[in-house]
Amino acid sequence: MQLNFNQLWRYQDEFLHGIQMTLTLTLIATVFGLAIGLAGASLSRSRFAPVRIAIATYVELIRNTPALIQIFLIFFVLPYAGLRFPPFYAAAVALSIYMGAYAVEIFRSGLASIPKSQIEAGQCLGLSKFQVFRHVILPPALRNIYPSLTSQIILVLLGSSLASQVSAEELFHTAAFVESRTFRSFEVYAVVCAIYFVMVLSLRLLFSGFERIAFRWPTRR
Amino acid sequence: MREFGIFDVLTMLWAVQWTAALVVIALIFGAPLGLLLAQMRTSSNKVLNLIALCILQIVQGVPLLAMLMFFYFGMPMFLGVQMPALVSVGVVFSIFAAAFLGEIWRGGIQAVHTAQSEAAACLGLTKWQGFRYVVAPQAFKIALPATVGFLVQLIKNTSLASVVGFVELARAGQLASAATFQPLMSYACVAAIYFAICFPLTHWSRSLENKLNGAR
Amino acid sequence: MALVEINNVRKTFGELEVLKGVTIEVEKGEIVTIIGRSGSGKSTLLRCINGLEQIDSGEIRIGEQVVHAKSTDLRKLRQHVGIVFQQFNLFPHMSVERNITLAPILAGRVQKGAAARELALKVLTQVGLAEKIDAYPEQLSGGQQQRVAIARCLAMSPDLMLFDEVTSALDPELVGEVLKVMEDLARQGMTMILVTHEMGFARNVASKIVFMHAGKVHEQGPPAELFANPATPELQNFISSTR
Repeated sequence: MQLNFNQLWRYQDEFLHGIQMTLTLTLIATVFGLAIGLAGASLSRSRFAPVRIAIATYVELIRNTPALIQIFLIFFVLPYAGLRFPPFYAAAVALSIYMGAYAVEIFRSGLASIPKSQIEAGQCLGLSKFQVFRHVILPPALRNIYPSLTSQIILVLLGSSLASQVSAEELFHTAAFVESRTFRSFEVYAVVCAIYFVMVLSLRLLFSGFERIAFRWPTRR
Repeated sequence: MREFGIFDVLTMLWAVQWTAALVVIALIFGAPLGLLLAQMRTSSNKVLNLIALCILQIVQGVPLLAMLMFFYFGMPMFLGVQMPALVSVGVVFSIFAAAFLGEIWRGGIQAVHTAQSEAAACLGLTKWQGFRYVVAPQAFKIALPATVGFLVQLIKNTSLASVVGFVELARAGQLASAATFQPLMSYACVAAIYFAICFPLTHWSRSLENKLNGAR
Repeated sequence: MALVEINNVRKTFGELEVLKGVTIEVEKGEIVTIIGRSGSGKSTLLRCINGLEQIDSGEIRIGEQVVHAKSTDLRKLRQHVGIVFQQFNLFPHMSVERNITLAPILAGRVQKGAAARELALKVLTQVGLAEKIDAYPEQLSGGQQQRVAIARCLAMSPDLMLFDEVTSALDPELVGEVLKVMEDLARQGMTMILVTHEMGFARNVASKIVFMHAGKVHEQGPPAELFANPATPELQNFISSTR
C-alpha cells in the first residue's frame, strides 16, 4: 500500500484543536486531581475513622477499576445528580476523580517519607503547625514524590484519550473523525501516536527542567 | 428492551474468561520480551541499551488506545491482510506488558546487579550462571510487588480491547447497557467485577511490598 | 526562684512507667548534667521539659510558665527553650543560613535579608563555622552539623538549652569540637540541661550532676562530691562501668 500523509494536512486545524483540548483536559484533571490528592492525604490522617475509611474506599475503588469504566459511569451518573455537562466536562470530572485517587496515595507516601524527628525539630523551634508543614515537611516531601507525581500526570495525559469514548472532543476524537473522512487508518494513527509521543517527551523535559530549578539542595544519594 | 437482570450478570462473568485470555496472552509473550528488554537495559552494550530505551520510551509515551487502533485498523490496511481482533489486540498487550515489565525487572536487576554478579564471577560462574543463580532470584524478590502491581494495571487496561469490539468484560458491559438502556447498572456491575479481581491482587502486592521493606 | 522546677513528674508508656516521680531544680546559669544507664528515663525527661511528651502527673515549670498547663502556648515557650538532638535534625533542604534564620524570621524577631544574615553570621561565629553559612547540611561533617544545630538554637536567644546526647551519633574524632562549643556556652552563663555519656564533660563543666536510675533521681549533687563519694552502689557501679 502507498503511504499518503498529504491528505492529513488538510486537517491540521482539527489536529491543533484536538491537541489544545487534550492539553486542557490534562491540565484540568491535574489541577483538580492534585487538589483532591492534597486534601485526601491530609484527611487520611484524620482522627475520625469514618473520614479515613471514606478516603480509603475512594482510593481503592478508583485504583482497582478501569479508567474507561469510570468515565462511562461518571458520564451516566452526572445527569442523575442533576448535572448536565457536555461530554468534555464529564470526562474532565472523571479524569480529575481518577487522578485524585492516585494523587492521594502519592501525597500520603510523601508525607510519610518525612521523619518524625524533622517535625519535632520544627516544633521545638517554636514553629506553628502550619509553618512546620509549609517549611519543614512540604519541600522535601515534594522532592520525594516528584518522580511519581510527574509520571502520574503523564499517565493522565495518555489516559485523556479515553475521553473520546464518550465523544468528548480531544486529540483522539479528532483522529477518529479524520480517519472516518480519509480512511487513512495507518497514517492517521501513526501521526496521532507521534503527536502524543512528542507531547509526552516535551512534558518530561519540562518536568526535569523544573526539577533542577526547584530542588537544588544536595542529598546523600 | 428488557430489564437488567441476572442474565446480564452471567454474560459478564462469562466474558471474564476473555479478559483472562488477554492477560495470559500478554504475559506469555510479554514476559520473555520484558526479560529481554531488561537484559538489554542492564547490559554494557550501548547500542542494545539505546534500542531498548527507545522501545520503552515509545510504548510508555503513546496512549494504549492509540496503539490498539494503530494495530487493529492501521496495520492490516498497511500490510493488506486481514487480522483477527485477537491477534492485533494480543500483539498490543504483549508489547505493553513487555515494556512495563522490562522496566520493573530492570529496577530489580540493578538493585542487586554489580556487587552480586562480581561475587558470582569470583566464584567462577559464567555470566549466565551468575544471572540465573545469583542475580535473578534476588531481583525476582525485589521486583515481585511491582510485578503484581503491574498485573492489576494490565487487567484494567484490557478493558480497552472493548473499543475495537473485542468481547471481554468491558464490552459485555457495553452490550448489556445497550440492550437494557440501564448504563448505570451495567457499568456498576462491570466495575464491581473488575474490583473483585483487582482488589485482592492490589492487596497482595502491598503486603509483598511491606514484607520486602520490613526485611531490608 | 529556680528557673526550672521539675516536681514529682510521672510518665508511663503503655504499661511501662518510665518516670516515677522525678524532682529537679535548675537555677539560672546552672549546668545540670543528667547521667544514667540507657532506659533510665533521661531522654524522656528532657523531652518532657519542652513539651514534646505529655506527663501523667506532677508539674514542670519554666520561668512563669507551667509546661503542661492547658493555657500554655507551647510555641511561645519553645521560642525560649532550645533543644539540640542526637541526630542533629537540620533541615536538609535549607542552607545553613536558612536553617538558622527560619525560626527567628517566622517569629518576627528579625527581618528577612541582611539583618537575618547578620544574625546567622553572629551565631555561626560563636560555634566557629562562619564560613559555612551558605553550605547545605549534607555537605557538612556530623560535628559541623551538630554545631550548626547549636547555632540554630542560639539564634532564638533561648533562656534555657536542652542537649539530648548530642555527641552520641558522632565519630569519636568529632566529639571534641562539639563539646568545646558547649563549654564556651557554659562559660558565657547559658542555663543548660544535658543528657550525656561524656563523663569528662560532666565532671569538668557541670555545676550539678543528676544520676537517674529506674525512673527516679537516685542521687544528685556537685560533680566533685558525687564522683568522689558515690553514696549508692548503683552510682558506684555506673561510675566504674564508664571508666
